Amino acid sequence: MRSLVINDVQVAVDAPETTPLLWVLRDYLGLTGTKFGCGVAMCGACTVHIDGNAERSCVTPVGDVQGKKITTIEGLSRTGDHPLQKAWIDEQVPQCGYCQSGQIMQAAALLLKVKAPTREQIIEHMDGNLCRCGTYGRIIRAVERVVGGGGL
Amino acid sequence: MRALRSMRGPRRREFLIGGSAAMLAILANGKVALSDEASSQIASSEINAWVRIAIDDTVTVKVPATEMGQGVMTALPLILAEELDADWSKIQIEPVTHDPGTFGNPKLGGRLYTAGSTSVEGYFDIMRKAGATVRRVLIYTAARHWSVNPADLETAPGVIVERSGGRKLRFGQIAALPTLVTDVPEITEADLKPRTVYRLIGSDVSRLDVPAKTRGSQVYSIDVRLPDMVHAAVQRAPVEGEMPVSVADERAKALSGVVAVVRLPDAVAVVAERWDTAVEARDLLDVEWTTNSPFRMADSAADLAENLQAAGDVERRGVVWVQRGDALGELSKETKLIEADYSTEHVYHAQMEPLAVVVAVDADGKGAEVWIGTQSQSVVLSVGSQVLGTSSDRIRCHPMLMGGGFGRRTVFAREHLRDALLISRAVKRPVKLMWTREDDVKQGWFRPATAHKLRAALDTNGRVVAWHHRVACPSVLAVEAPEALARAADKDNLVMGGTDAAPYAVANILAEHIITPRRSRLASWRGIGHGHNRFVSECFIDELAVVAKSDPIGFRRRLLGESPRAHALLDKVLAISQFGIAPKGRAHGFALGPLRSSLAAGVAEISLDRATGVIRVHRFWAAVDAGLPVQPRNLIAQIEGGIIFGLSAALSERITIQKGEVQQSNFYDYQFLRMSEAPEIHVEIVPSDASPTGAGELGVPMTGAAVANAFYALTGTRLRHMPFDPERVKAVLNG
Repeated sequence: MRSLVINDVQVAVDAPETTPLLWVLRDYLGLTGTKFGCGVAMCGACTVHIDGNAERSCVTPVGDVQGKKITTIEGLSRTGDHPLQKAWIDEQVPQCGYCQSGQIMQAAALLLKVKAPTREQIIEHMDGNLCRCGTYGRIIRAVERVVGGGGL
Repeated sequence: MRALRSMRGPRRREFLIGGSAAMLAILANGKVALSDEASSQIASSEINAWVRIAIDDTVTVKVPATEMGQGVMTALPLILAEELDADWSKIQIEPVTHDPGTFGNPKLGGRLYTAGSTSVEGYFDIMRKAGATVRRVLIYTAARHWSVNPADLETAPGVIVERSGGRKLRFGQIAALPTLVTDVPEITEADLKPRTVYRLIGSDVSRLDVPAKTRGSQVYSIDVRLPDMVHAAVQRAPVEGEMPVSVADERAKALSGVVAVVRLPDAVAVVAERWDTAVEARDLLDVEWTTNSPFRMADSAADLAENLQAAGDVERRGVVWVQRGDALGELSKETKLIEADYSTEHVYHAQMEPLAVVVAVDADGKGAEVWIGTQSQSVVLSVGSQVLGTSSDRIRCHPMLMGGGFGRRTVFAREHLRDALLISRAVKRPVKLMWTREDDVKQGWFRPATAHKLRAALDTNGRVVAWHHRVACPSVLAVEAPEALARAADKDNLVMGGTDAAPYAVANILAEHIITPRRSRLASWRGIGHGHNRFVSECFIDELAVVAKSDPIGFRRRLLGESPRAHALLDKVLAISQFGIAPKGRAHGFALGPLRSSLAAGVAEISLDRATGVIRVHRFWAAVDAGLPVQPRNLIAQIEGGIIFGLSAALSERITIQKGEVQQSNFYDYQFLRMSEAPEIHVEIVPSDASPTGAGELGVPMTGAAVANAFYALTGTRLRHMPFDPERVKAVLNG
């Protein structure tokens, strides 16, 4: 059994250490908000926070994250009203929505480190997260809305 | 009218106590509930096929179109709620799971099918009349309850109001009355609201699906989990038409947690208790495949070259798509003849959610419950009943929200469903079958590579007297619906849509399709025929303008003649883009992008790095007319997304095939537009009196030509072959 801290809750999972964290979250723990897009860290749909950094859970072996603090979209806020989540609604960002957990987690990691990123910093930080529906402009606006409101 | 008949009065008049089988319900306040919670124990009354009203005032609306990100799950109930005069915060939706006879889209042959930007267009009248009928039932019931004349009653949102006396009944209170007055006069066009009094349509309510999509709580088919469910990973035939000859599965079966290896007609599946085990074991399979499929001959480069030759052989007659006047006669006169070759290559849908399905086959093997992100419940019912040899009522379909569709999840998405049904039947357990991204790329069905020959004749005044558009490629409709192709005498709307030169007024026109043998898997892709054809025709119009010594805008204005909608769009997009006044080092290109009854006009502003061949699209302006905008903000979002989708294909996307096998694997070798490559986009809606028409694909058709025409403005060189990737751009620049 492997002990993990996910969304401030200690859990034990019986998964091989090489199993990607993504599948531990989705299949062993039922946290399906984190999505599978490519499996090779090319799209960002599986982005979670590991000790506050945005990481691709599809290429992170679960053996590497024991003792670290893992946050998923389900744990970003208690009631789904994180400033970014509210901004995502205000800007009506999602279309199909599949990539948006990863987008929000990626953006949240930026705002934890940089209180008021410029548009260029936002784009550079978000560039690894693909969105096939083409919501990029709205994502930028939503992040800027949070920045304009004083950040997190 | 079929749909109306089904609305006349209640089909059932009963109280449903916790009996709803809805998979998920979304309330207008953004809360999402699974069926058991949603239907709860609240009594409700089914007013007609489309609407159920609960005594707590919740109005549940059936939604026949499926949601892939286009916002239809909000748009359709909004239209109904407008005529019902419902309180929007009380609206709850329920996906239609079966019964195309009642719920099918008249624009798509009465099927339950969500494609071609036809949902709002196809259901606009149906939803309005359904809503108005329910409102009338409520009014008549209240009138009988109070013993007054129905004409003395009116509605406020969610309430029936007595004009003089001031008495009120909430919709839920009426639903709780012992019986409803269902024998009400049929709703006619005159009973429907005039647009001027709309309070919901055009009001930009928030999309119902958005809150869950910011919280990670939206359930897609890939997320469905059932008790006792196993996971399946499949190794499918590397080439269409091949079958497994022998399977060495000892190493796969040796992994702890592997349940079974199941041999399928053209695939081998590994079933395991966990997905990570299934996919690991799948990769340990050693399968020998047959090698005699004719699809082994597929070679995308050679096939496209062959198609270009066929398109260029102007003596070879194709299937006539449009013919007006005598284009060939005019072209054979010695007027000024202009011609050019164009082409596009295969592109992949790349929806973010790889195909996935959850299936639980019944114990007798003759029925199944299916959770699937699909653009067509009709396809699911038909595949399910065929595979299990059963009637379609034994297939219980839960249409899940899709992580992107773009044409991928139509009739072209059958294999994963078929495989899952066979696997679940074999192992007698519910199964989740998922494709990896590599599976999704290699097993994709692609927009066809197309070859085009364009010819036109100009008179001495520089006016277009004849237009000839030849498209050479296999038939896509032959894959989707061979019987429909036969009925249409080989006229393939999926390939040829957008070759009619409309809205330009040309007296002599011929558009023909040289149907060549199909060697690769072909499908519709966002924009369907318009995606490739408008690129070609709008570039060619620009070429003609130069020959006619005209400017691209003035030339188009003359060709448009009396087309006020088109002229209004030109006016708008030219104004917002300040067309022709680009910053130094950049240039503007214009293109019109009609898509059936909808119209768009766009301007791209590009620059070019001549050393690397990289085109950068900095800004894109668009003006759109999709008739009455039902949700203007969402309409704009759809156009923005369509523009990015179209630009991505124009700039970089390409699937290549050699010896029948797809050469790309994942997002490292099939790249689509990232945030840093996306332009700033500005979209304006030009209001029009027309009924609402398609918008989901409307952003796509104008994009390629706008970029190519800007490239010409910048360099004096034409880009006639899509995609405009750096290598090709450099080659074109170097002559």
